[in-house]
Amino acid sequence: MNKGLIIAIVLIVAVVLFMTQSDKKEVSEPAMTKAPPPVQVEPSPAEPAAPEVSLQEAFEMNRAMYGKGHSFAWNGEQHTTDHPEEIEASKEATQANAEALLASAMAKNAEVAKLGFEWKLTGDILKKAQQSIDQGNFQQALNLAAQAKYHARIGIEQYHYAQANWHLSVPE
Amino acid sequence: MKIIKTLALNLAVASASQAALAADSGFDMQTVDPEADRIALQNYFKARFPETEIADYVNGIYAVDAGSREQWEELEEFPPYEFDVEKGEELFNTPFANGKGYADCFENGGIGIRHKYPYWNKDEGTVKTLEQEINECRTDNDEEPLAWGKGAIAQISAYMAWTSRDKVFDIQIPADDERAKAAYLDGKKFFYAKRGQLNLSCANCHVQGTNIRIRADLPSPQLGHVTHFPVFRSKWGALGTLHRRYSGCHKDSRSKPLKPQTETFRNLEYFQSYMSNGLVANGPGARK
Ligand code: HEC
Repeated sequence: MNKGLIIAIVLIVAVVLFMTQSDKKEVSEPAMTKAPPPVQVEPSPAEPAAPEVSLQEAFEMNRAMYGKGHSFAWNGEQHTTDHPEEIEASKEATQANAEALLASAMAKNAEVAKLGFEWKLTGDILKKAQQSIDQGNFQQALNLAAQAKYHARIGIEQYHYAQANWHLSVPE
Repeated sequence: MKIIKTLALNLAVASASQAALAADSGFDMQTVDPEADRIALQNYFKARFPETEIADYVNGIYAVDAGSREQWEELEEFPPYEFDVEKGEELFNTPFANGKGYADCFENGGIGIRHKYPYWNKDEGTVKTLEQEINECRTDNDEEPLAWGKGAIAQISAYMAWTSRDKVFDIQIPADDERAKAAYLDGKKFFYAKRGQLNLSCANCHVQGTNIRIRADLPSPQLGHVTHFPVFRSKWGALGTLHRRYSGCHKDSRSKPLKPQTETFRNLEYFQSYMSNGLVANGPGARK
């Protein structure tokens, strides 16, 4: 995968996250919104003093600055800047692992498609992942499947964010 | 990649400086109020572009961008869609193999009715668009349906629009059928929801982003978006339907675009057309 491209995408996601934060307002949620808030952070059980930035924000910031494979402290805990999909892609590059990750990426993309939030390039990335498996290039297949699965996961988050917040840009 | 970063940043600035007020109504079946939405949208644009008359919003970006208006007015002196209107008239009047024709399928022989589309069809429980009924007219008479985006369907639609010029849009959302309101709400929600790899809603470009440069383009105000379709677009070098434009713009957020005439796009057209109530039909149009 092209490193520059990925970093740029991460930057966009960071900018976009910043944008979406900025139009978030305290509003009573309308009855039809059953979706969770877009930033899905498990509250830590001990619940110490509220941190200044959410884990998600800290993650995005560190990710944007240092890329993957970096660790950072947040609220007294250690975290890494790896996306869950990247952790999945770092498994041994075997055909079985590549096929399993591709299958789960395809399932996730089907899920986001059903919600109407599929991204434009994901289908092609999935196709390329399959081609890489066919050519015996399992590491590349893992990377591509991971990328596609990431697209699908963020698309699903977008869907939930939209359910709760779509009204924020409607002129009143 | 740099282009996209700049785009995201520009829009971040745009949405921060014009963040809409927090809303407390109009977002579910209990509170949705199309007429209040329409007035609020007009007021929003009145405040943004005090010089522009509401009636001028049928002219898209040229209503708010003096810079490109002159070029467009020159273009309109020899309208690039003239040939298509003629061709559309010819197609419209050519009988099907069974001897019937389009005029038999539509109210008033299909003349001067463009501004009544789309409409809520209670029997079918769905929004019907003009292009959809052009194709239904064909299949009901044992003809093959036409492709949705361009070509003959756009030409026939252009001719029908031409015969309806200056008629005022008056899209109805019948109060006796909750499903009509639900379709409107669905279209409204589609318009305002952020999506795709660029995380952009239609509104980010066509409400908050109106007349703010995005790459080489200035997005038009959503008010008046539908009045002049189909459109001869210089970039296409041809006439295209509204749903062709929808697909292209949907893709601009880096989403996998929906296909023309899917239910969601028809609901979107229903919402956008209601927003244009009170404006005149002025299709076909010419755009860059
Ligand atoms: C990245 C910004 C962007 C997004 C997002 C976007 N558009 Fe557009 N759209 C444009 C630009 C630029 C044009 C061409 C200039 C113009 O508005 O005429 C355009 C043109 C249009 C037109 C034709 C206007 C005319 O006068 O002929 C319509 C209708 C339209 N968009 C609808 C939509 C809808 C519906 C969505 C959401 C699915 C959407 N757009 C999303 C930028 C965008």
